[in-house]
Amino acid sequence: MARIELKNVTKRWGGYYAVEHLDLNIEENAFVTLLGPSGCGKTTTLRMIAGLETPTEGRITIDDTVMFDSELGINIPPNKRRVGFLFQNYALWPNMTVYQNIAFGLSNINEPGVYVNDAGEVVRDGQDKSKLTLTKDEIKRVIDRVSAIVKIGPFLERYPSELSGGQQQRVAIARTLAPSPKVLFMDEPLSNLDAKLRLEMRSELQRLHLSTGSTFVYVTHDQMEAMTLATKICLIDNARLQQYDEPLTIYSQPRNLFVADFVGNPAVNFIEATGVQNASDSSSSIELEFLDGFKGKFVPESGVDLEAWHNHEAKLQAEDEAKRRGYVEKTNKDLPFKYNIARVHEPEQTQTKQLTHNDFVIGIRPEFIKLSDDGKIEGEVFSAMPTGMETTLKIRVGNFLLTAVAFGEMFYKIGTKVRMDFSGHRIMLFSRENGMRITNGELIINA
Amino acid sequence: MSNNTSRPGSLSKRLNRVKTYLSKPQNAILLALGIMLTITTVFPMITILRDTVLIHPGSKDAVGTALESSFDFGSEKLTSYNWTNLFTGTITTRVGRTRVTRSVADVYLWTPLLNSVLISIFACFGSILYGGIFAYLVTRTNLKCKKYLSSIFIFPYIMPQWTLAVVWQNLFNSNVVTGGSNGLLANMFGITMPQWWCEGIFPVSVVLAIHYAPFAYILIGGIFRNMDANLEEAATILNSPRWKTFLRVTLPLIKPAILSTILLVFSSAMGSYPIPHYLKLNTLSTQYVAMKGDRIGQASILAVIMMLFGFIILIINQRTTSGRKNFTTVTGKSGQTSVVNLRAWKYILSVILILTTLATGILPIVLFAIETFLPNPGDYSFLTNASSLTSKWWLTSENITESGMYGNKGILYNQQIWNAFAGTLFVAICCALVAGTIGTLVGYCVSKNRRSKWAAYVNNMAFLPYLMPSLAVGVAFFVVGSNMGLYDTFLLLILAGTVKYIPFASRSALNSMMQLSGELEEAAIILDIPWWKRMTQIIIPIQKTSIISGYLLPFMTCLRELTLFMLLCGQGRIITTMLDYFDEMGLYAFSSGINLILIVSILIFNYFVNKLTGASLDSGIGGGKK
Repeated sequence: MARIELKNVTKRWGGYYAVEHLDLNIEENAFVTLLGPSGCGKTTTLRMIAGLETPTEGRITIDDTVMFDSELGINIPPNKRRVGFLFQNYALWPNMTVYQNIAFGLSNINEPGVYVNDAGEVVRDGQDKSKLTLTKDEIKRVIDRVSAIVKIGPFLERYPSELSGGQQQRVAIARTLAPSPKVLFMDEPLSNLDAKLRLEMRSELQRLHLSTGSTFVYVTHDQMEAMTLATKICLIDNARLQQYDEPLTIYSQPRNLFVADFVGNPAVNFIEATGVQNASDSSSSIELEFLDGFKGKFVPESGVDLEAWHNHEAKLQAEDEAKRRGYVEKTNKDLPFKYNIARVHEPEQTQTKQLTHNDFVIGIRPEFIKLSDDGKIEGEVFSAMPTGMETTLKIRVGNFLLTAVAFGEMFYKIGTKVRMDFSGHRIMLFSRENGMRITNGELIINA
Repeated sequence: MSNNTSRPGSLSKRLNRVKTYLSKPQNAILLALGIMLTITTVFPMITILRDTVLIHPGSKDAVGTALESSFDFGSEKLTSYNWTNLFTGTITTRVGRTRVTRSVADVYLWTPLLNSVLISIFACFGSILYGGIFAYLVTRTNLKCKKYLSSIFIFPYIMPQWTLAVVWQNLFNSNVVTGGSNGLLANMFGITMPQWWCEGIFPVSVVLAIHYAPFAYILIGGIFRNMDANLEEAATILNSPRWKTFLRVTLPLIKPAILSTILLVFSSAMGSYPIPHYLKLNTLSTQYVAMKGDRIGQASILAVIMMLFGFIILIINQRTTSGRKNFTTVTGKSGQTSVVNLRAWKYILSVILILTTLATGILPIVLFAIETFLPNPGDYSFLTNASSLTSKWWLTSENITESGMYGNKGILYNQQIWNAFAGTLFVAICCALVAGTIGTLVGYCVSKNRRSKWAAYVNNMAFLPYLMPSLAVGVAFFVVGSNMGLYDTFLLLILAGTVKYIPFASRSALNSMMQLSGELEEAAIILDIPWWKRMTQIIIPIQKTSIISGYLLPFMTCLRELTLFMLLCGQGRIITTMLDYFDEMGLYAFSSGINLILIVSILIFNYFVNKLTGASLDSGIGGGKK
């Protein structure tokens, strides 16, 4: 059980930023996933918290102990931070048996009052302060406990090379759990497993989090894994924190186009639109034109004043830029996120258009495209991928492709005509100018 | 396959099976190579074994047996005299005025054997310690000048073996202790080093260790470079102290590299002739040379004993590398290798290492160069009087007997020397071509038949000569050569060189071929592309660098080889025997000049091949990829 706090943490090599001014609060007993595309800085972040990497600047605290502070010159080495670390490729020592691998860490414990309780857990503040290390018998009891948790009892005398990938994974978990760390760091621990085993281990990790009560920090590039496991997701791109929220919040209220695109499978549909806000309408609705000729009205779930919103965003951006002026120039520049509009034929060339407040991007999750016989939009089935439980459809509307999910056992023949609507009030509206989400709402298509 | 409906007989079935087996080019080549290597490797060994029971006219065995043979074998006389006399005979020597009777074994066998084993062990130990620490510093710390250091560190291996031994002499010898002319230290500062420092086990071991340390550096450094840093980090996270992480995690991981270093260094050190010869230590190889005059048969027994060590090392190696703990350390996904911060030590250590490598890498060249301008060997009077330097050793173009030239022309005009140099080049090129080609084929075929026992046998046969001390291989070919009337011919030199150097090529080829996915070739097979085209258009272009290394290494080694060749030809045939001859004659300026020419040409070759193809010596030695 531990809180972790990162303040203004930066890691850079020259002008190349791996992590840029990251603020992060990880609560006690949380299961936080660091999510992002490869090379975005998530592993570096994890390694900095564990002490394997030294930040360029910033401050890291675990509980109330300062682990790193660039201004005070504090840097506690990784072996003194008392954390657990699960490596992506397990890092099992090939020259030791499974038993020796697990026992190695236990034999290194050297703290006054350490003992093993009846449950087989390592306890550190016992009465007998003269007792510094664990006895052989105590080590055995701990190994009995952890090997029962991950079910590796029969393999204790084997060498790592004699185990399958899944078994090695379990051994690595057991080795990490054995000294009862208060924080557990995991660096893409499931990415080397096959799909079925991954699913199984995922649920075991969730149970483990519950039973150990430790704080888990988990790195992954798999948004599905992050969604299903985490209590909170920290989404990073190009060294910058994009959003730090609960999984469902990230899913339904993404801060910007990148987050909306990265989370969710199948991916969100983006539709470019232009329009103006009805000045007279009390619901502050926006008249939109999209998909080469369709017209509709976007009704925000709560009133929004576009002008005020833009001013506010511009102010935030100016503040951010002002803050960054003093920093070393970033060579891996932050470019506007290039969202993908699915089309049947890619346009020959895209002319760059001067964007205004009247340019929008509509984001529609596949499940909000409802197929019905009296839908207002007509399309043609372009491809259909049934899994049994649901069918992922790509539907052609003009030159555009929309992804929809239809639940239930149905058969869609490629080339048939279908009709659909955009349903619900969770259609997302982004500003095309700055890529930020303005609000969610309802999109009513004019007949 | 055929429309034959009747059941084929067992003979035709077997015939078909053979046909299918041989229809794959790699199998046919493997079969041919296996037979050929068996002959070239085993035949000399048998010959040498047989030589120990032969009676040699004019030798001790002829006197001892009074030409009476114990039994008849064709026309040649066979005897067990050599064995019995060596192990049980006695010999009377004069020590001062008294005559002392000692056993033959003590004088001719046990003392040199003990010395040989000791220097081999010390050489292994020293080279692993020096090369290993160097490898650690270069790969895992923030040491300065890494690039310079790592390229100069392998100089001692590139240079001829005796280079450092000669340098040692030139530095430390003094008239008071060792006799002869004063070395640099005695000359300039009046320092005389003690006897044990100048001659015997200590300097031999040190020189061997420095000479073979590049092996250890390349092999151990290769693992350090590719080692998964997570393995150590995992230990650190679990609060393991540094020394414990090193002992329990790092050391076991580099153990395979340490074992292969031992494998390579032990027998190389045992078979080394020039170093103990220059530094005056009685080892099996120097003893062999001393005995081959009047105790030929017994000398062959020494060679057999040296070979036995080769076998023992091979067996030990196979024992230790198989088994449950056998693992590959190079899984390396994590690119983030943590670099140890040496703080202020990085400058101190860099300076120390730069000085040491200068002493072992550059100093020899400078000393050899100076030597060729001295008026007389060891005459360092130019330090006070610059005009005493002379260019006569280089530029004398006429036949004069004065000024210590003994009728030899200056190096630049000396036809004999340049003939020998051309001879060396010829031998080196031929050896490189043959050994490189065969080695590459072995590597290719073995990698295609990974599980086959025959392939493993061929691989071992190709590798065995490496574990045979050079001198023993030389002896074997000497015996074979003299029986067949090939003594002092290029053919014999090329034959011996090829057999001895195939391992270089086969190792580097095998290592790189193993990393090549079979699918690359299978894709071509499906398209019905013939074998030679697959080789020339796919395999060879991909493996260009390592294949060139396979040719380069025999070439370089051949240029500077003395131990292997010295028994096989006269003094003027190749440059190294020429050098040895001048050295024996006391014409040190000539031998230094030849040394200089050799070293410089090797370095130039190495530089150009490296620049042109990217292949380098170090990637060939252990096959360790950079």
